[in-house]
Order: sequence, then structure tokens, then C-alpha cells
Amino acid sequence: MKYLLKQMGLYLVAAWAALTLNFLLPRAMPGDPVMSLISRMRGQIKPEQIASIKAAFGFTDGPLWQQYLQYLNAVFHGDFGISISSYPVKVSDIISTGLFWTILLGVVSLLISFIVGNLLGVFITWRRGGVADTILPGLLTFMGSFPYFWLALVMLFLFAFKLGWFPLRHAYADELSPAFTWTFIQSVLVHMVLPAGSVVLVSVGGWMMTMRSTMVGVLSEDYIVMAEAKGLPQRMVMFAYAMRNAILPNITQFGMSLGFILSGQLLTEMVFSYPGLGFYLVKAVNTQDYSLMQALFLMITLAVLVANFIVDLLYVRLDPRVRAG
Amino acid sequence: MSKISVRLFAVVMLAAMLLSACASITPVAPGTGGLAQSTDTAAPKVEATATAAPKMDATATQSPTKADVAAATATVAAPAPSTGDAKGFVTMSNELYSTWTRNFNPFAPTPLWPTSMGIYEPLMIYNTLKSEMTPWLATAYAWKDSGKTLELKIREGVKFSDGSPMTAKDVLFTFNLLKTPGTNGSAASIMNNEVDSVAAPDDTTFVIKFKTVNSEALYAAVAQVVVSEKAWKDVKDPVTYTNDNPIATGPFTQVTRFDAQFWQLEKNPNYWQPGKPYIQGLRFPAFPGNDQANMAMVNGEVDWGANFIPDIKTTYLDKDKANNHYWFTTTGSSVMLYVNTTMKPFDNPDVRKALSMAIDRQQIVSAAEFDYTKPADATGLSDEGYKAWKDAGNIQAGAEWVTLNVDKANAMLDKAGLKKGADGTRIAPDGKPMTYELLVVSGWTDWVSSCEMMAQNLKDIGINASVKSLEYNAWYDTVSKGQFTMSIGWSNGGATPYGFYAGQMKTTRSKPVGESAPDNWQRYTNKDADKLLDAFTAETDPAKQKEIMTQIQAIFVKEAPAIPLFPGPDWYEYSTKNFTGFPGADNPLYVGAPFNITGLMLMTNIKPK
Repeated sequence: MKYLLKQMGLYLVAAWAALTLNFLLPRAMPGDPVMSLISRMRGQIKPEQIASIKAAFGFTDGPLWQQYLQYLNAVFHGDFGISISSYPVKVSDIISTGLFWTILLGVVSLLISFIVGNLLGVFITWRRGGVADTILPGLLTFMGSFPYFWLALVMLFLFAFKLGWFPLRHAYADELSPAFTWTFIQSVLVHMVLPAGSVVLVSVGGWMMTMRSTMVGVLSEDYIVMAEAKGLPQRMVMFAYAMRNAILPNITQFGMSLGFILSGQLLTEMVFSYPGLGFYLVKAVNTQDYSLMQALFLMITLAVLVANFIVDLLYVRLDPRVRAG
Repeated sequence: MSKISVRLFAVVMLAAMLLSACASITPVAPGTGGLAQSTDTAAPKVEATATAAPKMDATATQSPTKADVAAATATVAAPAPSTGDAKGFVTMSNELYSTWTRNFNPFAPTPLWPTSMGIYEPLMIYNTLKSEMTPWLATAYAWKDSGKTLELKIREGVKFSDGSPMTAKDVLFTFNLLKTPGTNGSAASIMNNEVDSVAAPDDTTFVIKFKTVNSEALYAAVAQVVVSEKAWKDVKDPVTYTNDNPIATGPFTQVTRFDAQFWQLEKNPNYWQPGKPYIQGLRFPAFPGNDQANMAMVNGEVDWGANFIPDIKTTYLDKDKANNHYWFTTTGSSVMLYVNTTMKPFDNPDVRKALSMAIDRQQIVSAAEFDYTKPADATGLSDEGYKAWKDAGNIQAGAEWVTLNVDKANAMLDKAGLKKGADGTRIAPDGKPMTYELLVVSGWTDWVSSCEMMAQNLKDIGINASVKSLEYNAWYDTVSKGQFTMSIGWSNGGATPYGFYAGQMKTTRSKPVGESAPDNWQRYTNKDADKLLDAFTAETDPAKQKEIMTQIQAIFVKEAPAIPLFPGPDWYEYSTKNFTGFPGADNPLYVGAPFNITGLMLMTNIKPK
């Protein structure tokens, strides 16, 4: 309990630091959003209008601390303001369009990759020197070392464009409307094969290799020998004794990956036209859309913090040594 | 969690993957479902002006990546079966988004296309290709009171999509609404700066009184789209309203589906042009990038597009020779090379001309622009957009300094006193070698390759230019503040060449170095040009206007305030597989690019096959 409280305190400080950086960094970029909006209008806005535009966007030229207080106040009320690049759509509306799909795709591909990777790691270590142990690490490292963007494009080109096995784009067929029906769910699954598959392909090797290397160490521990000597069933030794201990580093990694879903999935979403938030992340940066940028960055940082907190909780459950400390 | 549940979950996930893999063949009918768009993230959606800014950025952002190359060599695999309900729907690819956000407010800076050119309609459409005004919601205009008053006759019998009639009262309401700070609209600037009063004496007359005579204001005024007073009078804040279900006069007003990845716009049941539009509606599948949009184009899923497609002949035309077409009109504004005229030796017109003569425009146009445009002439005006304004004498007079001639260029620089140093680089008047950075926006690939070629060209005349790519905002910041030596950049468009030349030479448009100016980045000013430009806007007689414009052109040709490179093409592709009646090279009625206001004419006139 004391451990958890201490952790929570740390997370609160981290969250405050993130909030503050999130406020300061976009403002340190060159140019300002109003000028960049005006430049995109290419001479359609007369200089005389600039002041009125600034007012309409809620830009005050007030001192930085004043803006900071306003920002903190807004964040605590969950009010991220209006997007400048998609003016006058609310930032919360933009985020709600893609958040579900980003999370769905991210969680599904991460889970598949994590589970498959760890299981493969366990199996190949259990049968060290076997066929799978010879082939898989090399093959998957090979796949994982491709630039993701290139691999995804090739998959899209080959399986969707050339062979037509999978859809070229989107999260479900355009003629369907989201509904809780089998047809729709099926459509969603089909549309997820390529995007999720490409992510799994490049990332599964990493999980497997980490698992393998820790598992090798764990297998030589005395308690494994002891468990085998007790005559416990193989599967029990493999999962409850070896895997449970070997999975700890991967759990930490899992927490990190969970937090990075939003930012890490950018390329997947772009290549497969998946209606997620990655595109808006790029757009917000390109157009200096402070409000959208802040909201997205805040979500990323908070996601990382929350995921790590959950991992901490999991650790307490998985590793008794942490509880004692 | 227990090991059982972990195992169970793994099995479920694997099963789901397998299942989905097997089910793949069934529901995927890419048919008329989805298409794309192609301007880049930062693309301006300049809907209101007739000659919109060049869509150079479309070409730019997305480099021709492997997918394009792949697409170029691909045979079309998946057929596109059109489903029954898809008939009559034109699939669009003109804006790049990964997810759609609903915004049909014509007073917002970037509402979804076609808010201001299809949902809402302007008073008149200026057809750049023919340099003529096509009556739309207004049937005629007249200058009264020796040019200080503009009188517009408003069409009778026009209805909004809710069935209520549109009258001059709605036009009056719209123009008054533009006084709200922050509203966008073609007439917003004139309403806030130049208009004395507006009035609607009766249901078919709308009158604008100006403070001074300004003939240019006509184009801004008639391009304004009209909203319904009934629908808008209770809107609390017209700036932040997203107008989810527009009530408008346009051919397409009914938003019948709106999902994050796809939306659909259907025809107005009360449209004022009898029998039109002939098609049921427009469909907008979301495409996050050029690659994705181009794959759909190549697949035959797009009927009307505005995409930059590298090597379009092999990539797109050859895929379906009978139906796939493109027509890139050069009505956009010109892409220019700017040199800072506040710096020596670039204050000397001969030096600027010498730079121009060193540039191999034909090579740039072929290699960087895929021959989608052509070399500019010395007037700087794009050829198809301002045909009627261009003066042959001026083009002739300036022909020399836009033609590649390295020897002459070297001779001119020698004459200007710029001697070559030991390493072959010329020495500037301040005693330093002429080594400069040539600025360009990073990622705008065609501009970057243009700049690389120019840097190479400039070495031939002893100027050592190195290409420097800046991120868009940083680039704009540097260039608009005049803190650069050389940069590539766009120029102003507009119905008449006024906007272009005012942006290049007018004193009031220039600002001291260090202050941001929307145009005149090179900080060139000319008193004679000022007078002529003012005389131009004070004149309403087209014949006299042309005379003045010829003199303005002559100053530009003589002074070379900036170096014209090539006119910007309007991206426009169309497929005649399902629809007919598109304008094209064989039917050059008006520009077909969706971002041009004449796109409104296209959507009301195309027919299903």
C-alpha cells in the first residue's frame, strides 16, 4: 500500500510536468497559428481582419502565465477548446471521431502481438534447439527489421490492390453504417486483418526474443528443477513457474507500448486509411493547431502514465518482492 | 489473472484473426463505395475566389512513393462492381482527411467541400477560362453612381432546400452577417473595409454602396455565397456554428450519411434549375494521403478527383484508356522565385533578370512538374487564367529575360560589377562571395526538385545557391517577414491580374523587413505601379481597365520584381465510366477542378450514363 501511494505521488508530479511541457512546447515553435491560418488562405484575409480572427480564436496576447492559468483551468474542466485547423469544430468532437478506431486497432494488434510473441517465446525456449527455435527468431527478426512503412505499403499493394483479398482502406465497408450486427462486426474484422497483421508481423519478434532470453535464464533456476523433480505436469512448470517469472520485463514493455498506441500507430493508419487519430496528430503539428495538439499530446502522456500505473499494479500482483518493498 | 484466462484469451484472439481472414471475400465491394481526396493537410481550401490559389501543395506534400511507382506498374486487379444503390452517386477524391469532421458553415475558414460551391451558391460565377461572368443567384450587375454603387438583380424563383424562397433580403442578411468579427467569406474583407452601406430596396434588388470606387470589389461581392435569413437569424455565433444540416440553395444540400470514414451528400429537392442536378448525389470516402487516393483512382473507384498523380499517363490514363481523363488547366497563380530586393545586388533589376536567364524553365517543368504546366512568360500571369489581359507586346518585350541564356546572364552580371572570385563565385558589393540559401518548404517535393535544378543553374553564373528545406511554418515565417535572400513561393490569384501585381509591387502591401506581410515578400515597391494599380480599381470600364493593366504589366516586365517560373496547374481528373458531361480538353467550357468555383457548374451538369 505504501508502495502504491509513493508511486501515485510520483505519477502526479509526472502528470503536472507533462501538462506544463505540453503547454510550453507548442508555443516554442516558430510562427503562430493565426499567421499560419492566414497564409493558408493565401491573401484572402486582409491584415485588418487579423485582430478579429485572433479574438474569435480566443488568442489573448496576455502574458504567458495568464495563458498558462487559463490552460490549466480548461484542462481540469475537460475543455480543450476549438480546433484551429478544423475551425470551428470542437477538439473533443475531432477526437471522438477517431479515438475508438485508434484504440481498437491499437489494442487488438498489441494484444495479438504480445500474446503470440510471448507464447512463441515460451515454446521455442522450452524446446531449445528445435526446428522452431532455429527458424523463428531469424525469420521474425528479419521481418521486424523492415521499415514498417515499406512493409505496410507492400502488404497493402499485394494483398489489397493486386490480389484483392482484403479491402484497400477504412475500418469497415463504406456501404455499412456502424451497428451491432454480425455483418458489421465481420466487416470490421476483415478490415483489420491487414493493419493489425502488419503491426503484429513487425512487433511479434521483439516480444518473442525478450521472452526467450529471460526464459532461458529462468529455466536454469533451482525452482524449475525443483518443480520438475516434484513431478508437476510440464504445462504447469512451463506457464506457472517459468513463464510467470520470465514475463515480467515484457509486462513493463507492454505498459509502455499501450501508452504509445496513439502516437505509434500513425503510419498504420495513414497507409491503410484507417479512420484513427494519427492523421490529426500530424495535421495539428503542421498547422500549429495548439488546442488539438495539446489535447492529443495530453492524451498520449496520460495514456503512458496510466498504462504504467496499471503495470505497477500488475507487478504487485505478479511479483511478491515488490509488495514487500 | 489466471493462466487459464490468459490462454483462453489467446485462443479467442487467434480465432478471431482466422475468422476474419476467411471471411474476407464477402463484404468487400470497393465499387462505388469510396474514394479519396488529394490536397495535403495544409492545403488551402480557397473556395470563394474564382481563381483559387494554386493547388501546388497537393503535388507537394506527398512525394511519389513506392505505392505510386507500384501503382504505375500494376494491372487493375479488383473490379469495381457498382451496387444498385450506388447508381447516380459521383465518388469524389479532393480533400485529404483520415476522418471527417462535420462542418458546413460557409463562414468558417475550412468547412468541408463543397460548402461554398455546391451546398451554398454564389451570386455569380466568374469563369476564369473564358474571362466572363456567369449569372447564378444574381442575374445581372450594374455599376451606378459613377462606379460607387454596385446594383445586383437577384434571381426570382430560387428556393432554399426547406422550400422557403430566397430573396434580396437573404442576400442583405448574409452581407450584414459578414460584419461579425472572424467570419470568412468572399465579401468579408470588402464589407469590413470598403463598403459604406448595403441595402435591399425590393425582393430582387441588392445594392452595395462603396466608400470609393473599387472595381475589384465586384469579384469579391458576387462570389459571396448566400445563406437563409430564416435559418441563420437565431444562430448565436455564426463563427463557431458547425451547421450540421445546411439549409441552402445549392444543387446538393441533404447530408444523408456522415460517418468518420465516409459521408454522402444528396440533391436538393427544391433546386431552382429545373431537372438539375442530374445525379443523385456525391460520396466522400476518406483518404488520408495521396497514395491511398491514387490507388482508388487507379482502381476506377473515383469519378471526379483533384489529385496529384505522378506520371499520370501511365499511372492513370493507361489503366482505362476509354474512360480515364485528366485536364490540368494552368489558371492557377504562378510559382515564382523571389529574391530579396532590399539586399544588394538584388535591388538591381538587371541582376534579377540575369538570375532569370540562368534558369532552365523547360527542364524544371519537365522533370519536377511532369510537364503538367509550362514555362512562365515575363508578365508572370498564368496563361489560361488571364488570356484576355495579357499583352503580346509585353510578352515580347520580356521574352529575352525568361529565356535560358547563360552567356548573356554572365555578361549582365559582369556589367553590374559583380566580379568572379578565385573559386568562380561572384563577389557581392559587400565584399562577400555570393553564396546564398534558396529556401523551400520541406516535403513539397516538386518545389524541392525545382529548387535543386535552379541551384544547379545558378552555379553556371557564379552564384553559389544551396537549397534549404524548412518546415512549412518556419518557411512562411521567414519569407513573409522578408528575412531571406532567395526563396521559391506562390503568388496571388484572382479574377483580374490586379491581385497578382498588387502583391508584387504595391507599396501598401510591403512591410519593413522583420514584419510579416501576406504578400510582397521580396519587398519591392514602385510608385508608378502604385498609381496605375489605384487607377485600375477606380475604373469600371473593361476596355480602359485593360489599357491600364497593359501599363502595369510593362512595369513588371521592365523591373522583374520577382522571377516567374511556371503557372500552377489545377488538378482535375475524371472518369467517364459512369457519368458524362465533364469539361475537358475536348470540351473546354470551364475549369473542372473541384476547388475552382466552376466546379459548381460541373456538378449541376454531369449526367449518369
